[in-house]
Amino acid sequence: MIEEQEIITEDNIARVRDLLDCLEKGNKSGAVEVIDELTSIRETDLYKEMGKLTRELHDAISNFGIDDKMAIIAEQHIPDAKERLNYVIAKTDEAANKTLEAVEESIPICDSLNNQALELHASWQKFINRELSADEFRQLSKDVNDFFVSTFSIAKVKDHLTDVLMAQEYQDLTGQIIKKVIHLVGEVEGNLVNLIKLTGSTELKKKEGSSTSLDGPPVPGLSHEDTVSGQDEVDDLLSSLGF
Amino acid sequence: MKILVVDDFSTMRRIIKNLLRDLGFNNTSEADDGLTALPMLKSGKFDLLVTDWNMPGMQGIELLREVRKDENLKNLPVLMVTAEQKKEQIVEAAQAGVNGYIVKPFTAQILKEKLEKIFARIG
Repeated sequence: MIEEQEIITEDNIARVRDLLDCLEKGNKSGAVEVIDELTSIRETDLYKEMGKLTRELHDAISNFGIDDKMAIIAEQHIPDAKERLNYVIAKTDEAANKTLEAVEESIPICDSLNNQALELHASWQKFINRELSADEFRQLSKDVNDFFVSTFSIAKVKDHLTDVLMAQEYQDLTGQIIKKVIHLVGEVEGNLVNLIKLTGSTELKKKEGSSTSLDGPPVPGLSHEDTVSGQDEVDDLLSSLGF
Repeated sequence: MKILVVDDFSTMRRIIKNLLRDLGFNNTSEADDGLTALPMLKSGKFDLLVTDWNMPGMQGIELLREVRKDENLKNLPVLMVTAEQKKEQIVEAAQAGVNGYIVKPFTAQILKEKLEKIFARIG
């Protein structure tokens, strides 16, 4: 509220007398001058009051300590967090591909050794049962030698397993990054809660779950209403529908 | 047996392709969402569609509906492999005409069982 200023002053009485005098004498420009003078007294007061309010608002926000912090979070930390999360996607993608590559190269080696062993075992059984001809025995000897040479490729499988092992390093790196982002989200949350308190907003309306939104993988610790907890429950639900 | 595997994550496509190969299915193709999958399905003679649900572009459920609408594709067996575990969504997929529904993470054994079930039913 604008403070009531003293209106009945010697100066003002003199100004009004002046004004009356000018009007009676038909002095138009003199009258306008006095009216302007009187109006400016009111205006100065209004400006003073607005200045005071602005200062108070600024102080309130400064004392609150969110102005700079929020700006830094919005301008730097959030884009930074996005970058970090993109890096997490890149790292996990890289680790998954490295692992898949190692597995894809190992499986044919295992298959080949397995097949050779099965064939050798069958020939060996024939040999024990004395069902092998001399030619077949010579072939068996050659196959045994080939098999031994093939087993050297187990070293390759071991290398691939080491690659798989090393690819797991992503967990450590991505874990640290995600922890930082969680910390940031906590900070933003705290500031937003304070902001809501400052603006005096009442309880926020709880967001209603939209039926078209997709939840993605269930996260332990978060409530998941109306979800199944595994393949068995999916099967039960589908069979109840006649599947 | 020609199979189309649709998932927006290349690693998941690779895993599914590897599992299918282990089960003896060597003829597989890939697409990263419904929009790329649909023309492939229309032009190529696929015997099975394995699709994710949540993908950019066209989602798996839409792809399934498009397949059921198409005169030439309507009888194509569709297996959904997805992280979506809401009962409402499983029912939605069933109503849209899915032949099997697998939730991620899944095992090679589950994939084998569901495929056997699908092929047993279609004879």
